[in-house]
Amino acid sequence: MATGTRTGRSRFTLIFLLLSSATLLTLDAREFEPLQRTEETISDLISPLRTGADRVFEPVGDAWAGITGYDELESENEALRAELQKLEGQQILDSDAAIRLESLLDELGLPYVQDIPNVVAEVVTANVGNFDRYSVQINRGSEDGIRTGMPVVTRGGLIGRIDGDPGRGHSRVTLLTDPGFEVGVLAVGTDDVALASGGGHGEPLMVTKGLEIDTEVDVGHEVVTSGVDRSRYPPGIPIGTVTHIDYDEARLLQLLTVEPSANTDNLSFVTVLLYDPLAEES
Amino acid sequence: MNTANAYLRSALFLLTALVLHMALFSDLRVLGVAPEVPLAIAITAGLVGGPERGAVAGFVIGLGIDLYLPTLFGLSALIYTVWGYTVGLIEERIFRSAWWINVLVTAAATAGGLLVYALLGELLGAANLYTDRLYVVMGVAAAYNLVLSLPLLGLWRWSWPRLLGEER
Repeated sequence: MATGTRTGRSRFTLIFLLLSSATLLTLDAREFEPLQRTEETISDLISPLRTGADRVFEPVGDAWAGITGYDELESENEALRAELQKLEGQQILDSDAAIRLESLLDELGLPYVQDIPNVVAEVVTANVGNFDRYSVQINRGSEDGIRTGMPVVTRGGLIGRIDGDPGRGHSRVTLLTDPGFEVGVLAVGTDDVALASGGGHGEPLMVTKGLEIDTEVDVGHEVVTSGVDRSRYPPGIPIGTVTHIDYDEARLLQLLTVEPSANTDNLSFVTVLLYDPLAEES
Repeated sequence: MNTANAYLRSALFLLTALVLHMALFSDLRVLGVAPEVPLAIAITAGLVGGPERGAVAGFVIGLGIDLYLPTLFGLSALIYTVWGYTVGLIEERIFRSAWWINVLVTAAATAGGLLVYALLGELLGAANLYTDRLYVVMGVAAAYNLVLSLPLLGLWRWSWPRLLGEER
């Protein structure tokens, strides 16, 4: 008898929880504001605990990354050494101190940002699950003027955009490697605006729409954001370099493979451009 | 120890597990795959406490992790609820708790739970869940949760000692 009562109660509990989950899913899909505000509030309450735990366990995570990613670190080291040699060579050539200073300031000052207000943020968690490889969390949010859709950059160029509703002190960045990520681009020196989309983790971006077959583009050409037609992104942010060109004879289009100029792995700090295309227009 | 005390312990355990998952376990990746601690929590709750407690623990930890995932809010809660309940029911009706069976069930249920998560998520419009990489994720996460299952089973027994004694 007692077992029967317990089974009946557990079924009732299951149905109640399933209905609650389904209701939450529906409300979230409809972007129900009170739910989103509640999510933010709870997330903000947990945030200090999480930040504290992050600090405590950071050395463990770093040590683990060092052990499991040794090969990757080694090749990264080699690449950095080569880069250093290249820079040293460049330094000898640019003997004029003023030129050196200018180039250093360019590196530090994100030259393509110009006068767009921006916020520097720290990447607090790369991702917490196994299905969110294309997003990172940063420690700046709506309190700092961050809104959904704003572009996120590093010194190398565009790395993604703010997605979802930012919390007061944190927000989520969807990386440009996400296969669902699309950005209007143009090859430097051309006028054809095309659409680039993410190719997946560690893969190049693909430009498959908008670039006519007679537009002069070569391997090695720089690709930047187009910034036209109410684009979410300001013009001229570096995206990457063309590494391969295919031709779609049926649609009379060029298909470009673009190696991103910014590295989206092991991000520490990023810059959020507080760019609002509608405000810029007005 | 009374019921309120057991619930307090459970809440403390769930909150600690959630924070530890985000701050520590999500960084301990092998082949890019982290342990699925929240799913292991739901499964082991079902194994120790039966279907009802498995469902409740799955729902709570699922909601917690949903706050930080880009997928729809409530998706993890839905799947972990069903999984906690199902594992609890299977344990109650079939296995009755040999420790090594519980460990194996946790690993198998982890792989199954991830498959269901990916399929249902894609069905509800989430992108990039059912990919070629899914089977790697299932394998590594199952192995990880196999290792984590014993401490988690122990911690659930610590949370509900009196309640379990009354029922059995």
